[in-house]
Amino acid sequence: MSLHVRTAVAAGLLAVCGLALATPRPLVAAKSRIDFSVKEMGVTVSGQFRKFEATIDLDPARPEASKAEVIVDIASLTTGDADTDAIAVDKPWLDKLGFPKATFRSTAVKSPAPNRYEVSGVLTIRGKARPIVVPLTTAAQADGGLLATGGFSVRRSDFGIGGGEWNEGDLVADDVPVTFSLTLGPAAR
Amino acid sequence: MATAPRTQYTAPAQLGHWLVVLLIVAAYAVAWTMVDLKLSPTKLRLFNYHKWIGVTVFALAALRLAWRLGHRPPPLPAGMAAWERQVAEIAHRLLYLLMFAVPLSGWLMSSAKGFQTVYLGVLPIPDALGKNAALGQALTEVHEALTWLLLALVALHAAAALKHHFVDRDDVLRRMLPQWRRRS
Repeated sequence: MSLHVRTAVAAGLLAVCGLALATPRPLVAAKSRIDFSVKEMGVTVSGQFRKFEATIDLDPARPEASKAEVIVDIASLTTGDADTDAIAVDKPWLDKLGFPKATFRSTAVKSPAPNRYEVSGVLTIRGKARPIVVPLTTAAQADGGLLATGGFSVRRSDFGIGGGEWNEGDLVADDVPVTFSLTLGPAAR
Repeated sequence: MATAPRTQYTAPAQLGHWLVVLLIVAAYAVAWTMVDLKLSPTKLRLFNYHKWIGVTVFALAALRLAWRLGHRPPPLPAGMAAWERQVAEIAHRLLYLLMFAVPLSGWLMSSAKGFQTVYLGVLPIPDALGKNAALGQALTEVHEALTWLLLALVALHAAAALKHHFVDRDDVLRRMLPQWRRRS
């Protein structure tokens, strides 16, 4: 089957269920999380963002039409340690006052295999935008919802996170692994 | 073949004792400096050094205990009263207990606070507890209480050793000091 025919078939399917695709699945905040970990002197300190919004419109039939946008509330960062939290959102690090939100906006989505996506997009932290590719795996849930999981690594130096004395002598690792597990409700009809 | 009873601690026992003395002094010095610091790279470093020292003390305490089981300490001076012997026995047992309990409580408090102990920055020691702020605070208080108890016991231990040496004029302190062989 040629690409043209496939595209035509996909377009036909799209026309049939076009309305459903127009409304992305709602995020189930209580069953979603975004975690990260920072390594200092070999010690992994993990934390999470408690508040974020995500608008994810995955279209298995036409993956390239999929869209994803995630907006993270920087002030909602927590590691479980108040002193660490205060430093993490302070000016040299994530600077919650100067840049209260970190965002990810997709620019192109590919699906190399069923339930797998490669979401290219722009990650903006501390006002600095960097291109990034986020791998994402989906799993259908019993209630008709969708669980989207994946992870990527943020290089602190790309975004100027944690400058000055904190960057001396490799005390804190540059790479900050981020993982996410987002539960999306059943598609609206 | 009968041998005369020891009058000295063995060299490994002495080495273990004095190493632990040095490490405990270092651990207290680092601890008192680090706790009042605002979170900074220096504070992070000091916390890690403190934890590495604690792990080392724990390991040395285990080695010392194993060595002690195979190499009994020299007998106490004959002139000591029964209550003095009892107090000495209890104090030494408590010192050993605290050489384990203080690092253990520190490790547990670190685990509960979400900071794993990674020995020398390369050897991760598994966390026994999950992250739990309230438990972390409670364990911090336990760790502090135990360190004060250890400090009090060390003071008693040192005072007793000096009393033996300068007042009783017996060999209790010298048993823990290297015997430099006199060449004459």
